[in-house]
Amino acid sequence: MLFRARVSRASDLMEPTKLPKITIRRFLICIPALLLTSQAIAHHSGAMFDDRISTTLTGTVKGFQWTNPHCWIQVLVPGKETTVEWSIEMGSPSQLFKGGWRPTTIRVGEKITVVIHPMRDGTSGGLFVSATGADGTLIGTLAKR
Amino acid sequence: MFRRSLTATLLIVVCGTVAFAGPNSADRVRAFAILPNWTGIWQSAAWPLNVSGRPPGGEAQLRELLQLIRQPPYNAEWAARYNIGMKNAAARAAQNATFKVCSRSFPALMEAPWMFEVVVLPEETLLIFENGQVRHLYTDGRAHPSSNDLWPTPLGDSIGHWEGDTLVVDTVARLSSEPLAPRAWVSMLSDRAHFTERLRLLDEDDVEDQLTIEDPIALAKPWLLTLNFKRVREMNRLLPYDCTENERNPVVDGKMIITTP
Repeated sequence: MLFRARVSRASDLMEPTKLPKITIRRFLICIPALLLTSQAIAHHSGAMFDDRISTTLTGTVKGFQWTNPHCWIQVLVPGKETTVEWSIEMGSPSQLFKGGWRPTTIRVGEKITVVIHPMRDGTSGGLFVSATGADGTLIGTLAKR
Repeated sequence: MFRRSLTATLLIVVCGTVAFAGPNSADRVRAFAILPNWTGIWQSAAWPLNVSGRPPGGEAQLRELLQLIRQPPYNAEWAARYNIGMKNAAARAAQNATFKVCSRSFPALMEAPWMFEVVVLPEETLLIFENGQVRHLYTDGRAHPSSNDLWPTPLGDSIGHWEGDTLVVDTVARLSSEPLAPRAWVSMLSDRAHFTERLRLLDEDDVEDQLTIEDPIALAKPWLLTLNFKRVREMNRLLPYDCTENERNPVVDGKMIITTP
């Protein structure tokens, strides 16, 4: 089975089976956090990504878009019933180039494991954190530092 | 007759081109020789972006490093306006959740994530940003245009001069309808804002820009900021950047989403 999704955050570690209750008080406490967190993306707001959560996806590369304003990795992740296509957002080509990536760094059909900060709305997308190839080595020279 | 006219015309064009493309004058060569060499690719030190397109420390790190998002030293009237804007948390949250920035006004451009090349010439210094924006800092002794020839623009009008190895730049006519910077949505300046920059190379890899903002309408006192730039040694050329090639982040019902190709 290629599919593997791991979610880790502090609250999960403390109470792995308990879902947090959202109260009005907690909601109001969250407003300043929403104003301040997860927005540090060069081209657009990053508020749609939840950078408190890291999700690991393992699948097959369907596409690697070396494009402005963002590069994208499309990954096909097999699930229990269906295969889901995930869209992984990265920086611009110049940011990737600076980090040691090239348009040929990953190829269609390659097996890949990607760590992302997922979309807050639960759709199958996220912000790139790191990637490893089938042999377990980190992809991109920046990731090796 | 036609052939003779054509030959004469060609001769004039060729001779004219040779004269125009002739060698630099000794004066220009001397002027160029004493200028500092800032050749290379630079990037704001506030934006140490990794391949995800974000700083390693996220928004918290960015907010610590960015200068222009801090509260300007407004006078009482403008401070009151600023505070009203800051109290509207819902509006700011909505802007923070959906903004896209593909170009910037001055001085925000100097605190942008985009890499830029510096070209120092006797007549002007050019800051060429990867998103296509260019700052022309004229150093040929000209003054700002007269009021008839000058109107507000996002980058304003910049003239400068060299004081040793320091480039002193004077900028006016900045468009006052622009917020001071992304994230500083309620920080505005008047159309009388006046900017003085002192740019100098600190060492091989660092350029400093001491920026002073004066505004007799909005500010109670001059606002002094220090912007820093790092040489980008990993790049051997400036790569093009734009927002239209493959835009996959539309805002739908007030939320930014990702589209599938």
